[in-house]
Amino acid sequence: MQIESTRFGTLDVRDETVITFPDGLIGLPGKRYALVAQSERTPFYWLHSADHADVAVPVTMPWLFFSDYEVRVPDEDAAQLMLSDPGSAEIFCVVRAAQNLEDFTINLAGPVIVNGDARLGRQIINDAGGYAVRQPLFSEVELNEVRAGSARSSVPATATS
Amino acid sequence: MLVITRKIGERVCIGDDITVEVLDIVGSTVRIGIEAPASVPIFRHEIWVEIQAENRAAAEAGADDLPSSDTPSSS
Repeated sequence: MQIESTRFGTLDVRDETVITFPDGLIGLPGKRYALVAQSERTPFYWLHSADHADVAVPVTMPWLFFSDYEVRVPDEDAAQLMLSDPGSAEIFCVVRAAQNLEDFTINLAGPVIVNGDARLGRQIINDAGGYAVRQPLFSEVELNEVRAGSARSSVPATATS
Repeated sequence: MLVITRKIGERVCIGDDITVEVLDIVGSTVRIGIEAPASVPIFRHEIWVEIQAENRAAAEAGADDLPSSDTPSSS
């Protein structure tokens, strides 16, 4: 299908990459989103609304930045997602971009869970407590790498879309 | 807004399938138990509002606002 995007123009996405969020993303309109990779060499994707040209949020895979991050999916959320095996879920966290890299944050408290087989998604409230809605994304080491221009080279950038 | 006074152990029914019970009151803190179908999302209001605000702020980002290895945007 084609998605009209105010950011990227007309996007061609395979139908099977469109994820249905029956309850939407919290605070954002629309129930169908596509996971769009902006380029091959970035850990960031966009969850782009299939219905609203101007609605998209940057997301990333949290473990690329926080290797010991934990998500506990409440039973009722797992049921909504028809997730029989939570291990098979794909997990993304919303990133808030900023002018300066040190001000980038990631929402570890409200991860987005995707059941790839059913193409169902849901933003949940992480039952594993203690995670921040606005966690600084880059560590000092990573900031230095980015500044040195070698950033993310060790990060696999496989597109799932 | 409907305001109801309840004591510990008393319940409020919302529709056919949602029940809210006052479990305990200690000082200014109330523990409540909620019985509802799994399909009804239940959140603490403040975390919900925070995530809502965060998503909306994140959706303000433009196409060029994310760093990539090719074009570090740290300048």
